[in-house]
Amino acid sequence: MRSASKAPDGTTGTSGTTFDRVLLGGKVLLLLAGLALVLAFPGLAPDAFILSVGVTIASYAALAVGWNFVGGFTGYISLGHAAYSGLGGYATALLIIDGGLNPWLALGVGALGVAVVAVPIGVASLRVRGASFVIVSIAMVLILLLVSQSWADVTGGSSGLRVPRPFSDDVLRPEQHERFFYLHVALVAVALLVWWAIDRSRFGIGLKAIREDEDKAQSLGVPTFKYKLVVFVISAFFTALAGGMYALWFGYLDPIFQFSILIGSYMVLMSLLGGIRSLFGPVVGAVIVGYSLEYFKNQYGDSQFHLVALGLMLGLVVLFMPDGVLPAIGQLVNRFRPTATSIREESAADLLARTTKTEPRQAEEVSR
Amino acid sequence: MSGSLLLQSLILGILLGGLYALLAAGLTLYFGVMRVVMIAHSAFLILAAYLAWYFNRETGIDPLLSLLVTVPLFFVAGVAMQRLLLSRLRPATLTMMSVLLTFAIALTIEGLLGYVFTGTQRRIQLDYSGSSFEVAGANIAVVKLIAFGLAALSLLGLYLLMKKTRFGQALRATIQHPEAARLLGISTDRIAGYGFGIGLATAAVGGTALALDSTIYPSLHWHWIGPLMAIIVIGGLGSIPGAAIAAMLLGVTQSLLQVPMGTTWAQTVFYIALFATLMVRPQGFFGGRLAQRF
Amino acid sequence: MSTRSLETEGLTKSFGGVHAVNGASVAFQDGKINALIGPNGSGKTTFFNCVTGMIRADSGRVSYRGDDVTGAAPHRIAAAGIGRSFQLCRVFPRMTVLDNMLVGVRPQGLLHRLRGGHNAGDIARARQLLGRVGIDHLERSEARDISYGQQKLLELAGVLMTDPETIMLDEPAGGVNPALIGRLGTLVRELNAEGRTFIIVEHNMEMVMSLSHHVVVFDRGAPIAEGDPATVQNDPRVLEAYLGV
Repeated sequence: MRSASKAPDGTTGTSGTTFDRVLLGGKVLLLLAGLALVLAFPGLAPDAFILSVGVTIASYAALAVGWNFVGGFTGYISLGHAAYSGLGGYATALLIIDGGLNPWLALGVGALGVAVVAVPIGVASLRVRGASFVIVSIAMVLILLLVSQSWADVTGGSSGLRVPRPFSDDVLRPEQHERFFYLHVALVAVALLVWWAIDRSRFGIGLKAIREDEDKAQSLGVPTFKYKLVVFVISAFFTALAGGMYALWFGYLDPIFQFSILIGSYMVLMSLLGGIRSLFGPVVGAVIVGYSLEYFKNQYGDSQFHLVALGLMLGLVVLFMPDGVLPAIGQLVNRFRPTATSIREESAADLLARTTKTEPRQAEEVSR
Repeated sequence: MSGSLLLQSLILGILLGGLYALLAAGLTLYFGVMRVVMIAHSAFLILAAYLAWYFNRETGIDPLLSLLVTVPLFFVAGVAMQRLLLSRLRPATLTMMSVLLTFAIALTIEGLLGYVFTGTQRRIQLDYSGSSFEVAGANIAVVKLIAFGLAALSLLGLYLLMKKTRFGQALRATIQHPEAARLLGISTDRIAGYGFGIGLATAAVGGTALALDSTIYPSLHWHWIGPLMAIIVIGGLGSIPGAAIAAMLLGVTQSLLQVPMGTTWAQTVFYIALFATLMVRPQGFFGGRLAQRF
Repeated sequence: MSTRSLETEGLTKSFGGVHAVNGASVAFQDGKINALIGPNGSGKTTFFNCVTGMIRADSGRVSYRGDDVTGAAPHRIAAAGIGRSFQLCRVFPRMTVLDNMLVGVRPQGLLHRLRGGHNAGDIARARQLLGRVGIDHLERSEARDISYGQQKLLELAGVLMTDPETIMLDEPAGGVNPALIGRLGTLVRELNAEGRTFIIVEHNMEMVMSLSHHVVVFDRGAPIAEGDPATVQNDPRVLEAYLGV
């Protein structure tokens, strides 16, 4: 909560301690350093290949942040977000090729179109929770794969689709990479800004309440379905933008790779590894996972070994670090926090209440 | 569509539906005993198919005999998976995290299959591979009939196990009301382990049946998991009869649509049915109390 | 103000052939502390869930202050002015205590919600309510880190944040120590004195009898007796239902 220093009834809040100020300063410094490193990366990259890996990772980050609008706020894990990145890519490409639109306009219009398509999909899939939602999200990708492969007149089918380049051919390969690197970074920045704004808003509080306990949120008056649908559409929009941007950079679309479960699972793994409840979680996850994926693909080439690596990483994260890296670091830092709450004198009832501390989460699980 | 073609499609649909039903029953078992949606089910199916193919290639013996190895092996693997991996997940997030964990297992299996056997398409050649017989003008391949027979026998075995044995009683009690089952002295953890073992054993049987008449490759499991997931949601998560009925209906529909629409478009029937179900009856058509919250 | 509060007529809900609520017609008294008691499995919680829209009843009607709210979604029931707590207490574990409070801010319309950050007035009200239940010093803790008793208080404060005219509590005294039960009782009395109606499902007879003005007794999914605590306590049907004589 922001700057809550004094409560109206005169009791001191626990914020505003020196520790918090130091922590905030550290965070700002870290953020600035990270930003400087990102902006300097194209200059530091030794060759075009490393630069292209950078673009790939930035693209992963854009996808993961787009995914995290649904995953992070509502806790609905979609394994099928490749549906929206793929649709974004195809929409952008087709609007340029068949619609004759300017590439950047095509990107925006395409993403808006995907957002519109996401409304009925959201209406259908958000009616169910948990596992059923995941199943439906997977089904979406499989349907789109079937359709895009069969509908060869439009999508180029299995032979793929060439996307016209937005920059003229005079711009050399490394220069292309550099421009697209910054474009992707800008997209990530905008998406993060929107995520941050929602996180602070009352809308965000309602969404997080849905993540924690949907029935309870609804009983407190949150119109849960509407909330989920809105954030779902926002998520589809940003994911489609990321997919379209990738299409413009890569210049070629193939249904098998666009509508692939793997892309969706990358987004999940990245966000989960970084921490879905943190603003920068998906970005951190994208850097770690993106780098590892490129490393494994590079080391083991065409073999399917990178799938094993991906599978093992995902399994380990789910088993041992389901909250992600950033929350784990946060908890570590919090251990050094001087315990502010102990300053306040406790009433007898508080002490009594504390002695009855049980495991409420477990109890609740039983009642479900 | 001519009469004999229609009959042939119908019969093929029933044969296919039988296999779907067996596999969907396995998925339903996992969900029933632990509220886990097992994405890796079809990856294990393909793994079993590869084992049958490898067994046949190395020994030259009929792949059906590989069942003697794969079924116990998969049973043990299922118990181990439940005891060692899934039981470690926090109960509060079990359903969601188990989807991801089993998804990770599926990726690992697919990757390993690709790594060991390469991505080349494989097919078992048997002396009866090409043989078929005619019923009223419809042409039915012997291997498809054997595959159906295997599936039907296993389903019957599963049914008898569930209905007639003490273990089956405990299993059903665990599925319907875990807390009550615990109060009756049933060790639900152990039962859940065995439920997982049996579920995975259905994948072993299904995989062998599949290997008899299909070309297999590592990423084939994605073609199975979608339809199977659709079947269990439509049937109502947790209901074995619901899953079996949905499997039969959809298998037949898919087979009938293949003639006018082609194989690819015919597969969309599963997803159309899935979305229609969600709009009309999100808890599925045969699911009870269980299905509503998942 | 109208004297009609929450009323049901022939409310029925069955699970797989078992009638959890069986044609229940109940009228609760406005401005009073109503209690709903009955043996285990008599359908009290299912009744609660049907009334608040968590479960859809098979048949029957629910009305609140004369308006038909049968089958309305939970957030509509909340908007109509009915707040509820859950059995075994439910809070949002990985949100701070203060954020837990802000979930219930009204109005809940999406446009209101999208418009900017938090309103200082909402935060002040949240703190005031936290202070009232005595956990304002914990506002920055995550709800999962506070004790069970504190979570119960937080849940009540969170419900109050929606400013409900009627508050339904599902076993408020379940699993908490005597000191806290006393504190909850005092809070309920105070809030009632301010004009809020209570409907409480409770097993703790001492609490029910000392607190409530009007008691409804459930057995097998329907009311078998109602009246003031003293009358109900001596009703032979109630004794029969409880003791199975």
